[in-house]
Amino acid sequence: MMQNDYLTIALCKGNLLRATLELLAAAGLPHEGISGDTRNLVFTFAEAKLRYLMCRPTDVPTYVEQGAADLGIVGKDVIVEQQKDVFELVDLGFGGCRFVVAVPAQMKNMRLKDLNYRRVATKFPRVAEEFFRKQGMQVEVIKLHGNIELAPLIGIADMIVDIVSSGRTLRENNLVELAQIMDSTTRLISNRVSFRTKFNRIEPLVQIMQQKAKKGEGQ
Amino acid sequence: MKNKEIPKGLRDFLPDEVKTRRKMEKKALALFRSYGYKEVRTPTFEYLEVLEAGTCRDIRDELFLFIDREGRIVSLRQEMTVGIARMAATHLREAVFPQRLCYIANVFRHVQPQKAQYREFWQMGVELLGASGPRADAEVINIAVETLRTMGLENFKISLNQIAIFNSLLAESGMTEAEKQLVRHLVEQKDLVELARVLNDSHIDDEVKATIARLPVLHGGIEVLDQLGKIEHNRRASAAVAELLKVYEDLQTYGVEEHIVIDMGVLRGLDYYTGIVFEGYSSELGYGLLGGGRYDNLLNQFGFACPATGFAIGMDRLALVLKEPDEEPAHYLVGGTVWPRIVTKAQELRAQGYTVETDVQACSRAELERRAQQIGNCQVIYLD
Repeated sequence: MMQNDYLTIALCKGNLLRATLELLAAAGLPHEGISGDTRNLVFTFAEAKLRYLMCRPTDVPTYVEQGAADLGIVGKDVIVEQQKDVFELVDLGFGGCRFVVAVPAQMKNMRLKDLNYRRVATKFPRVAEEFFRKQGMQVEVIKLHGNIELAPLIGIADMIVDIVSSGRTLRENNLVELAQIMDSTTRLISNRVSFRTKFNRIEPLVQIMQQKAKKGEGQ
Repeated sequence: MKNKEIPKGLRDFLPDEVKTRRKMEKKALALFRSYGYKEVRTPTFEYLEVLEAGTCRDIRDELFLFIDREGRIVSLRQEMTVGIARMAATHLREAVFPQRLCYIANVFRHVQPQKAQYREFWQMGVELLGASGPRADAEVINIAVETLRTMGLENFKISLNQIAIFNSLLAESGMTEAEKQLVRHLVEQKDLVELARVLNDSHIDDEVKATIARLPVLHGGIEVLDQLGKIEHNRRASAAVAELLKVYEDLQTYGVEEHIVIDMGVLRGLDYYTGIVFEGYSSELGYGLLGGGRYDNLLNQFGFACPATGFAIGMDRLALVLKEPDEEPAHYLVGGTVWPRIVTKAQELRAQGYTVETDVQACSRAELERRAQQIGNCQVIYLD
């Protein structure tokens, strides 16, 4: 539960964690002993009145919207798919990836328009549907929870919408990028009420993180 | 067995919950009445075009729509203000203004159900019709503060804004229509990251850019208005700031400024509001408790030009943050062997204001004692 005098931050377990911990360190927040490997899901720093919740990335916006956490650090890819009612405060710059439409290599000369009424497999049905609708197209979206690349190979979909960073996974599965949908980086999000009731604690963090992110850009 | 499900997002209220609700209602109504507000009711469902009046965004996804037997589209009411505006424009044109109206009602929205978000929920609120100016706004905001206080809530803030500051800065920013629309959308979505990017790419004056970027997070005491930057050249924005100051002063007169913060991020979904807007929060709940503001153009949608301001409190959310209800007075369970004596005794106690249950099943003293224990705070009177 959100407690009055504590600031609670929801963090993503997994590959964002290392960069997130570096950010917390740079922002002067305690972070000793936080790790995604332990079974510990809550890390409390009583002196700093700070608490971290270790979550699955897809749960972070939910925790923040419902006020279980005041702040969250999570990728834009998750935020845009979930459409939760949260403040999106800072682009933290790390964890960069992009949403793409990818097809089997033998279809690489197709135009997007040729894929009207086809099937698309994705972990991000909302992003996929909105993208194709904006192109004036209709597709059948098949929601999968992982290993999206498999879907065209075994024939349950003609294409995929997924996030890629280096593009290696696509290549390994003999897929090629047909269209870019949008870029994604990690963001700092805030509960709407916490942003107001804990403004004095959140605002300095926002400033520090913004500066840190700007510096990162220059490198 | 018959189906026992109820539709998603709805719920039953058991006696204890209803008791809490009735207490809230009683306190609120007494307060509203003490300011001269009279209670009204409007239909539970209305024609779609009525409920859509004044909203500039598409709200159909949120509505429970159906078609009546004459083939017209109707919707369960999603809030009370529009219905009351229609009612006033129809039935109260000849009345003496200002009119002060209040309500307690259930409303319906097709939202994703979760904590503090239901598809049928209860609102109580006031509408002050026919009065423009800061004093009218300050009156309803003060009532909002007093309502929360009366309910025993301590840790709460009301965020105050004047929507014309944002609207006129945007209108005179020199952005293209498409850019303006995008900026509105992003501010509404509270996507400050994308907002900064869009502003950065647009070709408008840097100072205006900085001000618009800062608005959604500008928050604090009345002194934050100094951080707005240079807006003197924008007459409407300056006037809006002056009005906000005036409302704040009027609230100081009521002595409620400890609960008031200035918050330029409050835009209330950019709906039918035209001036002062506000929202209320408790630090114990991740969702807003109340919202309101001035809507000077809404009644005109129904052919009656009339300024108006008001607010609605979400009772379900308020109930979540209220402390346990205070102890109830003792409750009697009267039984015995002689029925007329039981009835007489019970009537006597009821006349004194007690809650009295009579035993209608001729139970023994021991049985009644056991039952009283289960009820709690209950005394047995056994007449033999």
